Amino acid sequence: MFKKILIANRGEIALRIVRACREMGISTVAVHSACDAHSLHVRLADEAVCIGPAQAKDSYLHIPAIISAAEITGADAIHPGYGFLAENKEFAEVVAAHSMTFIGPSPEHLSMFGDKLSAKEAARDAGLPLLGGSTGAIDDAEEAVNVAKEIGFPVMLKAAAGGGGKGMRIIRNTEELVRVFPLAVAESLAAFGSGLVFLERFLERPRHIEVQVAGDAEGNAVHVLERDCSMQRRQQKIIEEATASSLDSDLRDRICVAARDLVASTGYTTVGTVEFLVEEGEFFFLEVNPRIQVEHPVTEEVTGIDLVQLQIRLAAGERMPFSQEEIRAHGHAIEIRVNAEDPVTFLPSPGLITGYHEPGGPGIRIDSAAHEQAMVQPYYDSLVAKLIVWAPTREQCIRRTISAIDEFVVEGIKTTLPLQRELLSDEAFREGRFHTRYVNEYLEARDAN
Amino acid sequence: MDLEKIEDLLKLLRDHDVDEFELQDGELAVAVKWGGTQVAVAPTVVAAPVVAAPAPAAVETVTMAGAPAAPAAPVAPAASDDTHGIESPMVGTFYRASQPGATPFVEVGARVSVGQTICIVEAMKLMNEIEADVDGVVEEILVEDARPVQFGQVLFKIRKG
Repeated sequence: MFKKILIANRGEIALRIVRACREMGISTVAVHSACDAHSLHVRLADEAVCIGPAQAKDSYLHIPAIISAAEITGADAIHPGYGFLAENKEFAEVVAAHSMTFIGPSPEHLSMFGDKLSAKEAARDAGLPLLGGSTGAIDDAEEAVNVAKEIGFPVMLKAAAGGGGKGMRIIRNTEELVRVFPLAVAESLAAFGSGLVFLERFLERPRHIEVQVAGDAEGNAVHVLERDCSMQRRQQKIIEEATASSLDSDLRDRICVAARDLVASTGYTTVGTVEFLVEEGEFFFLEVNPRIQVEHPVTEEVTGIDLVQLQIRLAAGERMPFSQEEIRAHGHAIEIRVNAEDPVTFLPSPGLITGYHEPGGPGIRIDSAAHEQAMVQPYYDSLVAKLIVWAPTREQCIRRTISAIDEFVVEGIKTTLPLQRELLSDEAFREGRFHTRYVNEYLEARDAN
Repeated sequence: MDLEKIEDLLKLLRDHDVDEFELQDGELAVAVKWGGTQVAVAPTVVAAPVVAAPAPAAVETVTMAGAPAAPAAPVAPAASDDTHGIESPMVGTFYRASQPGATPFVEVGARVSVGQTICIVEAMKLMNEIEADVDGVVEEILVEDARPVQFGQVLFKIRKG
């Protein structure tokens, strides 16, 4: 087992990793930018190294600084968290070249699943159902039009190197496709370093169902059940649940097993998530996230499995500590992503938190690095806290979450909590009649009034 | 050493107008520096190996209980118009000479000019020459040879002029 892990991340996930390491008796090194020097995980870690100025490209994304910090502290493993360098193949290779373990999948698997096209190919080879679309990258608008006519409008034009819900456009007709195609290529090149784009059939109102998976070095693969992440505003998840509600149990099993099959057939190791779109009793492979995810806590709450500790153990070469049969869901969990944004305009709201009080009581968990007098920095993402609620049933869980939101005090910055509270109270949400466009439509209707 | 003792210690230091204080006590290192009216606390990189016990108790970053979070570390030198701190632009290992056994680039009292190499910070097997960015005289060398340094850590104090 590792003696010392360097956490190449910040905020709530860095704190999460520090906590997992402390429980396991592993020493921790927190690397941080100059403006994060007093953040919670830095104070709780055993060692801290300032690696650069606030700008991520000069600190959290700056590979030499992170490797150098690992060298001077003698870390034997690096946990990349999510975002930043978590899916960066070059980083994983450099870490290995310095005789340290990258806590995540191999560079080959990062490569395979980092590119959406090769991910689709791997899924196809494993027998997973795919959305109709181009089999590879599309060279020009003319080819795009041919493919679109074959699969039928509307279509989704996607960047092969895109991720995190970015780099995709809905196209409804030929004229739009021809006009938008060169723009999409240019944007993709600028944002992701690759101008490769492809087309996929666009589903109007699917649900986003994702499956937590894990694999060990011996080829043992398990799924750790599913999450419903359909509540998204502009492709960004704001409410997540485990397990998915009103999903036919046979369909659920087939989706989870398909995800596990993909892990088994590719030999994927440590933890990850396989995402699907589900519409009218059919499911389609979307992509793989080869990392620990923001919403991992809801799975932890219903299964009792510590996914970060599992990830560390698997990265250390340990065998999968449980069998598929031992994995069960108990109760229901909801996660609210508390973002520092105006709940109406969604403009970012960084600044000093002048008042802060977390809710408590049975089934309440907060994953957050926030506290009174903490500065929410403008240089990074807007996630301030994750409110995770567990209860025996979904209905109780919703009530408990609303109650917890009412107790949650965050002053000095604006947060999305009022919006999430509204959505939790909405009848369609409570009855499980929602999909990936639901939040957008809800907001459009609200703004129109 | 618990937080209460640290608070007592800090009070004692302030009562006696101490500007700067450093203590190493087993696995705990405390470094405190007062600059003007602000209290800044420097997180230190512990060089001594941390014992991998099931419940690690060592904390080497001092937090001031009850005080609002101090501005960004690492600590900038006490503001004096003539004194200029040269900060490390990267994480790595600080070396005073171009190689082991060679004469150090500068000693205390040496005159330096802009662009002059004053030390090396080694990162990932690359030796990076660090240059003085002011003219002046070396007043203090704050890091020992072959010790680890962080981004922004003050390496030299130069008396300008």
